[in-house]
Amino acid sequence: MKRISISPPVAALLLAVILFLLSGFLPNGFGSDLAVAQSQATNILRLAVFLGVIAAGQTLVIISGSEGIDLSSGSVVTLTAILTYVIVKGQDEKVLLALLVSLAVGGLIGLLNGAGITFLKISPFVMTLGMSGVVTGAILIINHGNVSGKVAPVMARLIARPLSTSIPIPNAIIIWLIFGVLMWLLLERTTFGKNLFALGVNRVTARLSGVNVTGMNLATYALAGALAGFGGFLLVGNTGVVFINLGQPFLFPSIAAVAVGGTLLSGGKGSYWGSMAGAIVLTLITSLLTTMQMPDSVRRMVLGATLLILISIYGRQQALRQ
Amino acid sequence: MRRSHLNALAARHPALFALALLVISLLINVILQPNMFARDTLNSNMRVFLPSILLTAGQAIVILGGGIDISVGGIVSIVNTVLATRVGLDGSPEKMWQFVFISLAAGLLAGAINGFFIAYLRLQPIITTYATSFLYAGLALFILPNPGGGIPAQIAALYRDSTPLNLPLAFYIIAIIILIWLYISSTRYGKFLFAVGGRAEAAYETAVPVTLVQFSTYVISGLMSALAGIAITMLSGSGNADIGNPMTLNSITAVVIGGNAMSGGIGGVAGPLMGAITLGFIQNIVSFAHISTWWETFVKATIIVVALAAPGVINLFRSRRA
Amino acid sequence: MAESLSARNIVKHYGGVVALSDGNLEVQAREVVALIGANGSGKSTMSKVINGVVVLDGGQLLLDGNPVHFSSPQAAKKMGIATVFQELSLIPQMTVAENIWLTREPLNRTGAIDRKRLNARTEELLALFEGTFKARLHPDDPVASLPADEKQIIEVLKAISSDPWMLILDEATASLDSRQVQRLFELVKQWQEKGKAIVFVSHRMEEIFRIADKYSVLRNGKTVGAGRMSDINEKELVKLMIAKESVFGYTRGESKASKVEPEVCLEVQELRTDYLRGIDLRAHKGELVGIGGLRGQGQRDLLLSLFGDVPYLGIIKLFGRQTSFKHPREAMKNGIALVPGDRAREGLLYIRSILENLLLPSWRQYGFPLRMGKAKKDAAEAGAGLNLKMAGLQEPVSSLSGGNAQKVVIGKWLMRSPQVLLLDDPTKGVDVGTKAEFYVLLSRLCEEGKTILFYSSDDEELIGMCDRVVVLHDGLISTELSGSTLTKENLVAASLGVLNGGAQ
Repeated sequence: MKRISISPPVAALLLAVILFLLSGFLPNGFGSDLAVAQSQATNILRLAVFLGVIAAGQTLVIISGSEGIDLSSGSVVTLTAILTYVIVKGQDEKVLLALLVSLAVGGLIGLLNGAGITFLKISPFVMTLGMSGVVTGAILIINHGNVSGKVAPVMARLIARPLSTSIPIPNAIIIWLIFGVLMWLLLERTTFGKNLFALGVNRVTARLSGVNVTGMNLATYALAGALAGFGGFLLVGNTGVVFINLGQPFLFPSIAAVAVGGTLLSGGKGSYWGSMAGAIVLTLITSLLTTMQMPDSVRRMVLGATLLILISIYGRQQALRQ
Repeated sequence: MRRSHLNALAARHPALFALALLVISLLINVILQPNMFARDTLNSNMRVFLPSILLTAGQAIVILGGGIDISVGGIVSIVNTVLATRVGLDGSPEKMWQFVFISLAAGLLAGAINGFFIAYLRLQPIITTYATSFLYAGLALFILPNPGGGIPAQIAALYRDSTPLNLPLAFYIIAIIILIWLYISSTRYGKFLFAVGGRAEAAYETAVPVTLVQFSTYVISGLMSALAGIAITMLSGSGNADIGNPMTLNSITAVVIGGNAMSGGIGGVAGPLMGAITLGFIQNIVSFAHISTWWETFVKATIIVVALAAPGVINLFRSRRA
Repeated sequence: MAESLSARNIVKHYGGVVALSDGNLEVQAREVVALIGANGSGKSTMSKVINGVVVLDGGQLLLDGNPVHFSSPQAAKKMGIATVFQELSLIPQMTVAENIWLTREPLNRTGAIDRKRLNARTEELLALFEGTFKARLHPDDPVASLPADEKQIIEVLKAISSDPWMLILDEATASLDSRQVQRLFELVKQWQEKGKAIVFVSHRMEEIFRIADKYSVLRNGKTVGAGRMSDINEKELVKLMIAKESVFGYTRGESKASKVEPEVCLEVQELRTDYLRGIDLRAHKGELVGIGGLRGQGQRDLLLSLFGDVPYLGIIKLFGRQTSFKHPREAMKNGIALVPGDRAREGLLYIRSILENLLLPSWRQYGFPLRMGKAKKDAAEAGAGLNLKMAGLQEPVSSLSGGNAQKVVIGKWLMRSPQVLLLDDPTKGVDVGTKAEFYVLLSRLCEEGKTILFYSSDDEELIGMCDRVVVLHDGLISTELSGSTLTKENLVAASLGVLNGGAQ
């Protein structure tokens, strides 16, 4: 009897579906009302978009191996959201500029991360954690408590609203799907992607096969930073407001999402589809807890326990004795 | 000849660099705060540094053994919230002692949980303690959702005003820690620590009980975190679930400044303690330097990144010269 | 003190690979038993089973006739079995004394380590090898600062410091010079007289005949022969070690040397690296130059510096033009390819597919987005050309046998039609049939005008395949052999540094 093996992204999606169906049974759930179920599902997906985009950069650095991780993405999201808010000031013409600035600033911070990790041999965790503090400090300097700004109408239109009245899918989800395809192209159909996986499996083999390891490292972290910047841009387009803790709540779930999606935390294997499925699962968990009226503290404990369980299943290293 | 002599000295005694930094930061601090050595000011400074010092001692041991503990801040928060809620502002000294013991037990348990997942299930230390940090922080928030509570005023006063023989209480505690470390490092267990952190497979082949040693480092870290939690509760007199958050990165930075190798096997406890005090002085300097409040966070975070980068930069220059 | 240890019908696998299928060993006190076998025969696994580092999957261990089970290295140590390892078991950051006495340091009354006694005992041990190291060795020296031969001596001292009844020397003489080997053997004789048992794992015939009383031969995971050294000679031992259908009968015959063109493809002058002390070499187009010598004499550095992976001093010229490759990519672009010595750690991406492994250096040629159809076609072609036995291009490389995995490593370079091929022990751990295919492949490449530099630890291979062999010893070329001088005796002698300059 051949063992049926399910790929992790599919398993994650199944888990999401199960969780969603379970949520229907709860007091505030949709019960047997299909219309309500559909609108709730759409809502979940729409919420998952932002976590999904923020998890994209995380996916890249984790695939690159060597304990790659980006703890600065939370604060980068907040920073670029504020910058967008301040630059746009409600004017449609400034939106493109804000997007470019978000990408550039995120990319620069990512590049600094990459430089510290590659040239100064600081571990990715410690480097990005330290950077996160610096970015938060920068936010306070810009923020000074309050910022004045406004999101442009076109942003709200493109991100928060649906495509058209006949197609009730929010634009954000469509953007996410296109984004997902682009990420797939990057990982599976470019030299960069192939090199990234090679890096994650075995840096020595990669180097001896001609891969420019240093360049790849810098590029990966820079790209991750830029993607976090994009996430901040999208997020503010959805929420319309900014505050100091805008991005931070997405950080831990983004890592958990990548793990749920089947990307090995040791690197060298994984996909963005998996992270997308993971983002949906995590958004479901969070919204389930909110529906059950669980406080933030319980949410944190559940997330912590979830990651712990995940790595216990997927992340065990070689035993000392063979 | 002179230069290489200095290099060899630095390689054999990594804490020398920490000592140099300590002296420099001490001098600058004295310039900005001339009455620093007055009994009350010195006491005030040292008791502010003490929680960080205790935390750093535990972190130094974990890192020496080849691991890392990101959950230390979370354990501090748990202890703080437990004391603040269970003992309360009008609690009795007996209750305080009772819960001090409970806190120590909690710290040991939290450390044992970390140690179990890392040493026995062989999960990666960074991601595991990151997951448990969320778990512990969530628990702290659950115990005390809003800042409040506290400990009896007279106990806080005991901590604040204790100056046996006109020296701050903290001095004695630091001395005790160093004495304990000096003893431990001269026992077989001490050599086990260096062996496991230096090269775990070689230690295993030499019949060193690697798993047990790794487990013990996390238990020790848990205990020290609990002690730090008690100290900080006595310092602030009240409860706050976020109190441990900034302490984690501080403890890691102090260990790096102190000359311990992040990969393990090199260093000690004296260096990191000096690093913790140095960081304390630096933070004092920033406060006294009349930098606007908005810039303070940024400057302090940048200093941490610079401190983390320092060993890497020094190594870069050394290899360029070679 | 125990008197005997028996290992009977030992079975051990690592994942899907069978390291031992029927290992046997009988060791008695006052005896030196040589455990012999070619690379990949399972001798290292055997010694690891006996000293408790790996768990056996089948078979029995009997100590003085009673079954024992070693649950860890500690358990074996308690039974009085100590090992001198091949892969050093020293902690680089700790000192000589600390390493020797780790877990057994003398304690004083307070439970702390008694440093005076520690140093005194260390000095006693160091005195055993007095006069055989270049400078004075101190108990406080950090091990990381010691050269390989002194590290190996510390390993020996560490093992003997626990006064074991059985000592396993696992390729312990590999890094030692002749004076140190002589001293070690004197000590072994002393320990034998004291009642100890010694297991000498090695493939160095000369040493085996010097020191051992008995032999036990492993081949492909099975014990194929055992007995007294006095009842056997070298030829018969070698016969036991290698398979009957000797592939080593293969020679390139007439195709050798006749097709070599006079054009110099690769030239090296005064090459210096950490291990090389000044190498001059020339390779012509269509030539198969062998690099010989005992492991660790600089062969790896030579190949890596040509490939741009290690920094070097000196001059390297490709077709007359001086090059200075700072990264393998640059070497690749100039038509050089390297098949590294450790395919698991340096040559393959184990969890990725065969397709991805074959195309790793070449993706750039497939455009953006990558034309997967063409990539699959090219990979299939390359695989077919190498007679690669696989379930499919999408299967992970870990599903392949050793020989086929090595084909993937070579295949990924052949797809780029390189001009120069650098091979670091390419047939290590490869089965007989695949080896034969390799030899045919290499011959064909030479006929096509490629230049090959080929390091092998297998002397027969070098003799059968190469037009010329340069033998490295201690970072220098000790001699160059070709034609009639390319014989096994000369190779072995040159490897030990006996011949210099000319051949006999």
